[in-house]
Amino acid sequence: MDTPPASGSDSDSDDSLVTDRELQEAFSRGLLKPGLNVVLEGPKKAANDVTGLKQCLAEFKRDLDWVERLDVTLGPVPEASGSQSTPQDKDQRAVDPEDDFQREMSFYRQAQAAVLAVLPRLHQLKVPTKRPTDYFAEMAKSDQQMQKIRQKLQTKQAAMEKSEKAKQLRALRKYGKKVQTEVLQKRQREKKHMMNAIKKYQKGFSDKLDFLEGDQKPVAQGMKDKAKGQQMKKGPSAKRRYKNQKFGFGGKKKGSKWNTRESYDDVSSFRAKTAHGKGPKKPGKKGLNKRPGKRAREKMKTRTR
Amino acid sequence: MVATKRKRHGDLAIQAKRRKQNKKDAGSLAKQHDMAKEAEEEGTDCIPGPVSKGKWKNKERVLIFSSRGINFRTRHLMQDLRMLMPHSKADTKMDRKDKLSVINEVCEMKNCNKCIYFEAKKKQDLYMWLSNSPHGPSAKFLVQNIHTLAELKLTGNCLKGSRPLLSFDPAFDESPHYALLKELLIQIFCTPRYHPRSQPFEDHVFTFTILDNRIWFRNFQIIEEDAALVEIGPRFVLNLIKIFQGSFGGPTLYENPHYQSPNMHRHIMRSITAAKYKDRQQVKDVQKLRKKEPMTVLPHDPTADVFATPAEEKPIEIEWVKPEPKVDLKMRKKKVYKRQ
Repeated sequence: MDTPPASGSDSDSDDSLVTDRELQEAFSRGLLKPGLNVVLEGPKKAANDVTGLKQCLAEFKRDLDWVERLDVTLGPVPEASGSQSTPQDKDQRAVDPEDDFQREMSFYRQAQAAVLAVLPRLHQLKVPTKRPTDYFAEMAKSDQQMQKIRQKLQTKQAAMEKSEKAKQLRALRKYGKKVQTEVLQKRQREKKHMMNAIKKYQKGFSDKLDFLEGDQKPVAQGMKDKAKGQQMKKGPSAKRRYKNQKFGFGGKKKGSKWNTRESYDDVSSFRAKTAHGKGPKKPGKKGLNKRPGKRAREKMKTRTR
Repeated sequence: MVATKRKRHGDLAIQAKRRKQNKKDAGSLAKQHDMAKEAEEEGTDCIPGPVSKGKWKNKERVLIFSSRGINFRTRHLMQDLRMLMPHSKADTKMDRKDKLSVINEVCEMKNCNKCIYFEAKKKQDLYMWLSNSPHGPSAKFLVQNIHTLAELKLTGNCLKGSRPLLSFDPAFDESPHYALLKELLIQIFCTPRYHPRSQPFEDHVFTFTILDNRIWFRNFQIIEEDAALVEIGPRFVLNLIKIFQGSFGGPTLYENPHYQSPNMHRHIMRSITAAKYKDRQQVKDVQKLRKKEPMTVLPHDPTADVFATPAEEKPIEIEWVKPEPKVDLKMRKKKVYKRQ
């Protein structure tokens, strides 16, 4: 019974890292606890053979001229706005890989920095960098491809312009509508004024036909004119306003004459002198040369005959 | 093959013919221009003369090929790289059954000393190997976010075969593994000077940036000398997996601790959604169990009855007569007979 396990353990000891003898020694020292002892693997560590890497690099490196390699190691061009270069700021400005725009801009600026560093150097080394306009050679993208790209850009631009135009048209229409309503209202107002003036003339309240000559002094012009501003402040006289209010065809007229206690008791329009005949009379035509009546004329006729 | 190459380089006449072939407009006008310019090569620095014999020293050749099972995007990416790198060579697709060490033999047959090998798995994941063929180091990457040259949003253009500027992030100098990768990338991507298929001017720049533990590749066209740039494409992102000491094998020099295999990634995503469902189910089960448990009966607290005073006893009244029905005011509204 003892030998098979021993042979088994012997065969096992070839595979296992720790031999039986070592286990016995460890147990005697008190390192092993009773129970099943299992060899645990530590957490997996990624291989990083720094010396190996450096050695490999040293062997692999080719000492070529810079002109052959044309490589440059530079950070991105600092942004135009805010050019502090303290390390803290650099850490804060670390590019977020999820932010697409920022990321692509950082690549762009890195390329720019490289170009700005390399081109002067190449000019010094008399390496031609700029392609002349009449140098025709095969390009990486075919003509057809560039045509497609141009088409796409054009359609995009056209679509944008169209939408801009549509927006402007809409805004214009809105404004136009507003202006139109204003113009219509103005016309109606003018028509009303004209009709009022005509009616007044027809009813004999005003002799002048000034309204036919057009709006020489419309309200808008009066407001603009500062010299006539003072006159406009006074406006029509109080008497005129009273008469307008009583006999004009605007304003609230419906309830102006009521036979009420107030209107009966209202003696404000009573002029004592005029009532007793003592006030200044308005001399009418008939007053001056009052033609005698028919009988008086016949008597005069018979008398004179 | 090598002999014919040498002959090609030696013969100026054939050089000129090659120049003609390279031209997009094979019109006589362009030819005359070129001839005229070639004549006055010393005076103006516009166009350099044809590639001088014997000046091409940096003999780098890159083998670009893929395994079977790649999709259209990968194929286009491969073709774009072949076009941008005139020092590249193409090969047929390799069967995935073969071991990777076969690639070293293929490289030797084609006389290439670098290799870019695209490996597609599950028709979903693309891996890229960059290696220095006979002895040198090699690296395996997972490629993501591929955009090819043909995309209409990438509007730039460059000469086919012009030499690129290579721009690296300063982070490449900070760690030894990145330094090794930088050297490998430089040697692979830089077009040798005076390569017969190269064009003279500098009009594009390759950008390699380290962000989020990945290498981002971009290709920009230089429009103006004041560094106005437009993107040409292609663009991709490389996620480093391992760096090996040998070519397509050998001891591992570096393993990326931040790398998560796409299978693992998909597994995790699936387990997250599964976990949500499992959590909800578990909560429901627990609730069910709790309902089935008998309610806990608290023991009777003798001190609760201390202040309980029973009310006075009311006289028991028995109603012998049925009470009158209550008048339901609402029933009035519910008319039985409706007027027609």
